[in-house]
Amino acid sequence: MNKIEENRGLEQVSCPVGLSLANLKAELRAIWECNIKEWKIELAYPINFTRQCIEPLIFLLPILVYGLVLLGGSRFSESLLRLVGTGDIVTYTFTGYIIMGFIGTAVWAMGFSIRKEQWYGTLESIYVTPTSRLSLVLGMALHSVVHQSLGTLFEVGVIYAVFGLALRIEGILPALAIFALMMFALGGFGIFISSLALIFKEGWIISEGFHSVLMILSPVAYPLTVLPTIAQQASTVFPTAPALVGMRSFLIENYTPEILGNVFLHLLVLDAAWIVFGILIFYLTDSYVRKSGTLGKY
Amino acid sequence: MMKKSSDASVFRANFFVVWTEVAKNMKFLMAYPVIFVFWTIFPFFWFLTFIFQGQAIVGGLQSSSFAEIAGTPDYIPFIILGAILNGYVLTSLYGVGESIRREAYQGTLDYLLSSPCNKAFILIGKAVSESISSTIYAVIQLVVCIVFFGIELTLGVIMPIILILILMILGLYGIALMLAAFSLQFKQAHDLAHTLEYVFYLFSPVRYPVQALPFWAQIVGKFLPLTYALIAVRSLVLLRQNFLAIYEQIFLLFVIDAVALFLGFYLFNWMEKRTKKSGSISQY
Repeated sequence: MNKIEENRGLEQVSCPVGLSLANLKAELRAIWECNIKEWKIELAYPINFTRQCIEPLIFLLPILVYGLVLLGGSRFSESLLRLVGTGDIVTYTFTGYIIMGFIGTAVWAMGFSIRKEQWYGTLESIYVTPTSRLSLVLGMALHSVVHQSLGTLFEVGVIYAVFGLALRIEGILPALAIFALMMFALGGFGIFISSLALIFKEGWIISEGFHSVLMILSPVAYPLTVLPTIAQQASTVFPTAPALVGMRSFLIENYTPEILGNVFLHLLVLDAAWIVFGILIFYLTDSYVRKSGTLGKY
Repeated sequence: MMKKSSDASVFRANFFVVWTEVAKNMKFLMAYPVIFVFWTIFPFFWFLTFIFQGQAIVGGLQSSSFAEIAGTPDYIPFIILGAILNGYVLTSLYGVGESIRREAYQGTLDYLLSSPCNKAFILIGKAVSESISSTIYAVIQLVVCIVFFGIELTLGVIMPIILILILMILGLYGIALMLAAFSLQFKQAHDLAHTLEYVFYLFSPVRYPVQALPFWAQIVGKFLPLTYALIAVRSLVLLRQNFLAIYEQIFLLFVIDAVALFLGFYLFNWMEKRTKKSGSISQY
């Protein structure tokens, strides 16, 4: 057997495994390559790329127009002022809405990463490579976060030019720190969704379902106080509610937070909980679908 | 005599194509009950955010500023009717517009296009089945909204609403036919559907009256069948106007239907011939 392999000129490759620096480097390389692959696919369809970059703005505009119509064209709301200490609906809604695209990143890009490979017909090939499946999910997430950031930058530019935004410049850095903490927890959430997409074949329903529920439980266009008490309590389990409240506290003058407590601590706990939970469920479902032989089924 | 019998058999054959397509799509729907549950329940989640936003901004269930351009201060029924009718847009764009592309993914497009029938009737079958499923979702949503959100619907407006819905569906499926035609040639049906969805999302009065938009955007809105259907249905249900008050919207819906259906069928037949000649039908 060895002789045959020698004759064919096969080279034995030893793959790094376990908790080692070499393995970490290999996995980081896999994440990077997945990200590059996604960019290559995306840029092969420039119209699709452009459409997705303007999408955040398209979805924000009706929410703003609706708010302005309710107030007869004015951007100042007495009712919002009473609820959260600021009456500027444009700044309030905008600071909420920039998060929504990143929720989409978690539930769609990460949640659908494995299923997408199945559509491309490359799932089995990827599964037999000595790379962690999580690296595949994280590679797609990296691409999606950068992509979403581009769309958000475009959105910021247009809204700032058309409506003007009353934001505190000195609050941008702490707001970005909160945003980063939220993204870790959303990463864990996205891994959880991707494991569900492995089991449930109509995975888009899982993604859309969670996206819709998160939209309601996150104080994007309204404060949490208008939600029923049970929904307010449920919102504390997801990272978007504390993150939005925390970011607005730093970005908007006179904003009164509707969630009490330390937002940083809250998010750190959610980060740990969602990452551990997401990875655990991912490994369990991954092992289940491989054992049951249902991985390649539609 | 021979001609009459031949006409009858062609009619029967075309009817059979439509019927088979409807039966096939209904079997698909029944095979995935979770899809049925999704389209029945989740549209509520999409408009609930607008209701909560309204409550936060206005501090109540009515807005006098809203009444100045919408004619009614009750923004919740306004939003709900918009969301229910918008459901037809989503199912027509993604259901019918993308159906050709889906056949390609399933590997059945070549067989469909090589079958000895008029392909437009296959699309009609897809449109009819989408209309049936959309109407089931819409009726369930409407009943829930009547019970929980206090929308009042009298028996007298039901027949005019059905007429408006039929006219709107015809116009939407004319647009979906054009989308299906382009997806034969340009493949990326999903992107085309998304782009069209944006146009409906921004320029039709789903969440706000068209008067709230800039003049140029109102002009774009005037080319969409959903705009007239929403104005007509809201006039009947919310403003309690009679049928005579909405004759203009009905007439314009007729015109849009005629143009959209003609263009849709023409484009689809033309694209089908073109892609058959170029041999690019099953390319991705």
